[in-house]
Amino acid sequence: MTVSDRNDERVADDERSTAETASTPGDREPGADDDREGKSQQDDHQEPTSQESASVAAAAGIDDDVLDTPRELASIVRLQWIIRSTVGAVVLGAIVAGITLALGVATDVVPAGRSTAVTAGGGAFLLSAIYGVLKAVLLYRSWEYVVRADSLYLRRGVFTHVRTVVPYVRVQHIDTTRSPLERLLGLSTLVVYTAGSRGADVTIPGLTPERASTLQTRLERLAIESEEADAV
Amino acid sequence: MTDGGDRSGGERLTGRAFRLHPLSIPYRVLEQGLGLAFVLLVFGAPATGMVQNTLGTTPTAVLGAALVVAVVGYGVAYYRRFEYELTADTFDIRSGVFARRIREIPLRRIQNVDISQNVVQRALGIAEVRLETAGGSTSEAHLKFVSVTRANALQREISRLSRDDEETGEPETFETLFEISDRELGLLALVSMDLRIVPALFLGASLFAPSAAAMFDAEMLLYGYQSVVGAIVGPLVTLAGIVAIGLLYGVLNATLYYGFTLRGAADELRYERGLLQKYSGTIPLSKIQSLTVEENVLARALGYASLEIETAGQSGGGDGSGGSSQSAIPLATRERVLELTNTIEPVGDVAFERPPKRARLRYVVRYAAVVAVLTGLLWGVDAVLGLPFTPWLALGALVAVPPAAHLKWRNRGYAVGENHVLTRNGFWVRQTKIVPYYRVQTAASSATVFQRRRRLATVTIDTAGARSLVGNDAKAVDVDEATAAELREAVTANLYSSLRRRRQDERRDRRRPYGDPASGE
Repeated sequence: MTVSDRNDERVADDERSTAETASTPGDREPGADDDREGKSQQDDHQEPTSQESASVAAAAGIDDDVLDTPRELASIVRLQWIIRSTVGAVVLGAIVAGITLALGVATDVVPAGRSTAVTAGGGAFLLSAIYGVLKAVLLYRSWEYVVRADSLYLRRGVFTHVRTVVPYVRVQHIDTTRSPLERLLGLSTLVVYTAGSRGADVTIPGLTPERASTLQTRLERLAIESEEADAV
Repeated sequence: MTDGGDRSGGERLTGRAFRLHPLSIPYRVLEQGLGLAFVLLVFGAPATGMVQNTLGTTPTAVLGAALVVAVVGYGVAYYRRFEYELTADTFDIRSGVFARRIREIPLRRIQNVDISQNVVQRALGIAEVRLETAGGSTSEAHLKFVSVTRANALQREISRLSRDDEETGEPETFETLFEISDRELGLLALVSMDLRIVPALFLGASLFAPSAAAMFDAEMLLYGYQSVVGAIVGPLVTLAGIVAIGLLYGVLNATLYYGFTLRGAADELRYERGLLQKYSGTIPLSKIQSLTVEENVLARALGYASLEIETAGQSGGGDGSGGSSQSAIPLATRERVLELTNTIEPVGDVAFERPPKRARLRYVVRYAAVVAVLTGLLWGVDAVLGLPFTPWLALGALVAVPPAAHLKWRNRGYAVGENHVLTRNGFWVRQTKIVPYYRVQTAASSATVFQRRRRLATVTIDTAGARSLVGNDAKAVDVDEATAAELREAVTANLYSSLRRRRQDERRDRRRPYGDPASGE
């Protein structure tokens, strides 16, 4: 084994070229344009393996119109996130109010009295609640999952964009869970477990229960089929 | 059924149940007794007095005797109720004094078999055996204790049985792959002193020493002469202390790897190490998740490196590092490490691609921001408490920012090999991770706000290796956005083609008729 560095000294040219490729829309999301172009686009997204044998999805008998179509979450999931963040904001507001009250009594840094504490707590609550609402809206917009031929693809994130690829061969088992709040709103969460440590990362929230169970059976079939398919 | 005179050949190990070594009773009783004695020493005297007052002397003595009998009795009962048995394809343990537990571990799922002995155990000729599988957070089987010969026989037998049935007839031939030399051991002691402590200590000293000095300002003026000496000798002493602590740490580390030997057979690696506490373990080649070549600054300057192997098991050789990563080579020349890496995983020649240069700019900004924040903090401290120097002096650290950023950038990189993906990170401790495609679990790319500003992204390649639990995944940090997307897709695509190729090879060889090396565990 030898190890070398490609851009060791004469980097200038290399750097230019990478910069140029970057300016082209390189990170095009797989399946992002598929609404328009349908199956012709799909071939581009197939991994090189597809030439060697049929894809896992084909073996599992998954319809083509399911494949490579980016899906959004149910819109009501925004409400779920907003409720959750609002509860957090209430707690934060209460803590800030408490601290202000205590500070007002003990020191001269802030004026004593209930009204200051209420203003501070209310302000903290408002700021944090607005942040929560904005984040929920943006997060909902960023969320997308795609059932691809050989892998499940997720993208999400407001501040940090994360895209995860989960090959079906690696799926150990799939859970759907419903918290009390989710049951109230008619939502369900799907969790895909792999043997890797980032199992918890592969979570799709905000699915309707029907969609979650359809997706669960579909992914189970794909996981089983992927074992068989590459045994050929 | 005693364990002592153990002349058992391979065939006598299977198909009958064994007990632990009889010496394990006194050892365990004493071990627990010492713990109890400690508790008694701390809480004992007043408690005994109280009990004595209420019960009288004789009942207290009876109570004490009962306690001793209970501990010894439990020890004996534990021994009598503990049985292990090696069958053709499982390792069974029947244990438990009150609550019984019967556990069967499929041999094919066993990741490592580790043997450890501390000084006392070595004198008694007993050893502790652990079997690791991928599941669970502790060792699946924990034999405390068996005779050394039995431990070695078990280790041999388990790896023989978990191999192919066709090959069981022939004994496995091991060849020594690596043996640590005295020179390497000495270097290990030198190199493994943790350099990262030093800047932290300096930072601490520079933050707190001035304010301490300010407090003693008056005296310093009076004893000017001494203070000059102190100002010179003080730091020297501190520095010497730091180096001494670091070296002590290194020497301790070196004793752990005293006599390190790595031997390899067709299907597994076996290592032995330790001066006072002896360890030996097996690493089945089919269970390897990833390899890590590690070089810290000193080692790199001297041209040395170390190699670690990650499997999916849990506790490993008990060396306190957590996670199941065994040191395959504690320290050797870089060429030698790469050569051995290649025999374990045929990586071939790879060329690392560094992040684009705009990433370096990012580190400049990041470090400059850290300096600015620190200066701001100092300014705040100055405003409130007053400092003997102007806080703007801290801005001098800006000089170090460009070289630091360059070094960070320089040591980063990734490489896409034919069968492996490699990532490299870190200046103080440079880690090169080698992940075979067929071990990839998931691939993810992420881009923070700051990364997106410069069209950069990070690709994280997750494996089932235990160390990734503590966030030690292979990461290609700050690669170009487009490259990140390509890498993410390529890694998962290569996973499929690699799996397919392996299955085909296996079909041809018919070497593992019902093995499932692809599933990760």
